Amino acid sequence: LIDERERERERGGRMAEQVTPIRGNPGFAGETGEFSQLTEADVRGSGYAGPRDPAGGHPGAACSHPYQVVARNPEAALFEGPYRERLDKIISRYPTPQGALLPALGLAQEIRGHLSADSMAQVAEALELSPTYVRGVATFYTMYNKQPVGDYLVQVCTNVSCNLCGGDDVMAAFLEATGAEAGEITPDGLFTVIEAECLGACGFPTAVQVNERYFENVAPADAPAILERLRSEHAAARGGPADRTASARPAGPRPGGAVEVPEDPGKPGETVAPEANPYAGGDDTPPAAARPPAADEPATGGQG
Amino acid sequence: MAYPYRHESEVRVMSEHFGDPDARSLAGWRTRGGYEALRTALGMAPGEVVNIVKDSGLRGRGGAGFPTGVKWSFMPRDDSRQPHYLLINADESEPGAFKDRELCRWTPHQVIEGALIGAHAIRARHVYIYMRGEFFEPAQIVARAIEEAYAAGMAGPDIMGSGVGIDVTLHLGAGAYICGEETALMNSLEGRRGQPRIKPPFPAVMGAFGRPTTINNVETVCAVPHIISNGAEWYRSLGTERSPGTKLFNMSGHLVRRGNFELPLGFNLKELIYDVCGGIRDGRQLKAVIPGGSSVPILAADEIDIAMDYESVAQAGSMLGTASVIVMDDRTNMVKQVRRMVEFYAHESCGQCTPCREGTAWLARILRRIESGFGRMEDLDHLLDLGANMTGTTICVLSDSAAAPVASSIAKFKDEYLALIRRDDAAAVAV
Repeated sequence: LIDERERERERGGRMAEQVTPIRGNPGFAGETGEFSQLTEADVRGSGYAGPRDPAGGHPGAACSHPYQVVARNPEAALFEGPYRERLDKIISRYPTPQGALLPALGLAQEIRGHLSADSMAQVAEALELSPTYVRGVATFYTMYNKQPVGDYLVQVCTNVSCNLCGGDDVMAAFLEATGAEAGEITPDGLFTVIEAECLGACGFPTAVQVNERYFENVAPADAPAILERLRSEHAAARGGPADRTASARPAGPRPGGAVEVPEDPGKPGETVAPEANPYAGGDDTPPAAARPPAADEPATGGQG
Repeated sequence: MAYPYRHESEVRVMSEHFGDPDARSLAGWRTRGGYEALRTALGMAPGEVVNIVKDSGLRGRGGAGFPTGVKWSFMPRDDSRQPHYLLINADESEPGAFKDRELCRWTPHQVIEGALIGAHAIRARHVYIYMRGEFFEPAQIVARAIEEAYAAGMAGPDIMGSGVGIDVTLHLGAGAYICGEETALMNSLEGRRGQPRIKPPFPAVMGAFGRPTTINNVETVCAVPHIISNGAEWYRSLGTERSPGTKLFNMSGHLVRRGNFELPLGFNLKELIYDVCGGIRDGRQLKAVIPGGSSVPILAADEIDIAMDYESVAQAGSMLGTASVIVMDDRTNMVKQVRRMVEFYAHESCGQCTPCREGTAWLARILRRIESGFGRMEDLDHLLDLGANMTGTTICVLSDSAAAPVASSIAKFKDEYLALIRRDDAAAVAV
């Protein structure tokens, strides 16, 4: 497993050189050191934490992470192979199977990209709940996509802290750059842009969440560059070796990657003296490591 | 190390290692003194830990400010019959708040250590960290830290040879602001719609999965290891008498320096804005400040010479809340920003209580009408009337929170509403 990861990092490193890196996050949030390189195997597998209790392991955490991967298949079977193992692990973390409902729905969405009525029914069956109950819960939460969305779901925060600093303009810029209406999938299937409520990154306006990644201090002028970056990541992910099966799908942009955004150019007409702007970068701000696109990272959920 | 800006007034207790990637690993955390407080606490009886935290005067950092030690003391002392749960509230979604995310992503082991001490204090054998689903990166960092803690025997059965066993599970939410309310959080954890429950029964009697449960904010438990290590007296030496300790102030809006600044409670708000944060951007003038996240009443520019502690902010007619300070300059269109906040509450209302479900939606519609220049003079009375009917009439305080900025903005910035209603061109403002 470790060798595999090493190899994959090497591959990722090579690819990163080909992708024009966008300057490091001007906010302090961005560079997360070694954590930006974590793979699914790191947080889910046994490779990191060492051997576990064969009787089911400890009730830690990692298995319940739903990823928002780019490559997904609305027709894929749910809860088979490694996904069955992950579901079983999730269920073991709660005193009742019902407790596993939110993570199980997340898992279904990870596999298929959105929650169809059929997905909800299958989750209901797996947890011995009624389908109507599951649908009632799923429709309560905004992170479950009840309709298909583009490979990249771009969520622009327009709540008060970001709004004060131009969140509406950033939203408009993403809509203009994609040429789509809010909530619509672009014709190439890549993007859906929606308005989001507070993302909890109010000190770094405007915050934009793309799948599981945060981009911070985004100005309207940054929208095209961010989309371009996503396009090249997408192309790199698609161009990877063809070792994909239903159970070993490419993970797309590596989950939990460094949050990188273009350098904060400030609002139009706004100038902040470099010494007055702690986010402007400088010797103390390490340049963000270029994020490997993880072209052929196999889905490793369920290991360990 | 500049993270990203440090100010000399800061008293860095919880945020000391922000910006230091090495502090995030278990080894790094231990070389910085991590897990020593846990060792100390596990050597004590649960009641002793509760007493120290009680003596420290630590108050819940999630907004309500309830004394943490007192909350812990509500838990049943007999653990033989039923499991207890400690839930860590990392469902940070109050507009303006961004402190828990930073605590989780920079000091995951601080969160875990605090949670384990809290669990020991209330005799819980299982901790759930409920983190909002959008926080993927912090979740991954905390998940890895949990794995590390298990591998090193800091979590799981028999922690550090003490005979105490505590499990830690990270649970991710799925996008619902209301799940930050403690009873809604329990419902969500149980796989239900995140709708708040009627109290009583209180969580300490019947909480998650029907068992005695305590819910603590991330920042609250992060303060606990420091209290155990340095003592209640030390903690009381910071802050004010009734609001002891330090607090992360989350500064956002039109500031030269935004970000988290850790300061003793009671720090002057004016100094915070003009000194620590460098004042208002672009040399503009201050118009208004929301001192505790979008749920609290707005303060006008001339009301900010106050101490930032629970009592003083309340006396000024607002609330400290999560100490999430949103600063607005003189270009701000107050009606638009209030409308945006109200739309948020309308979106996030769980729909259980009629005053909230209907009230938030109508507030948003009327505000939008005023903003678009079609307001009527009687709309202001409608807004105030609706707000009054939404306050204190529902299961949780989301409804009150939606009404608070409306009422306070009409009281303090009525001219702006009137200008828009009269379609006064002079009122054309930029943001």
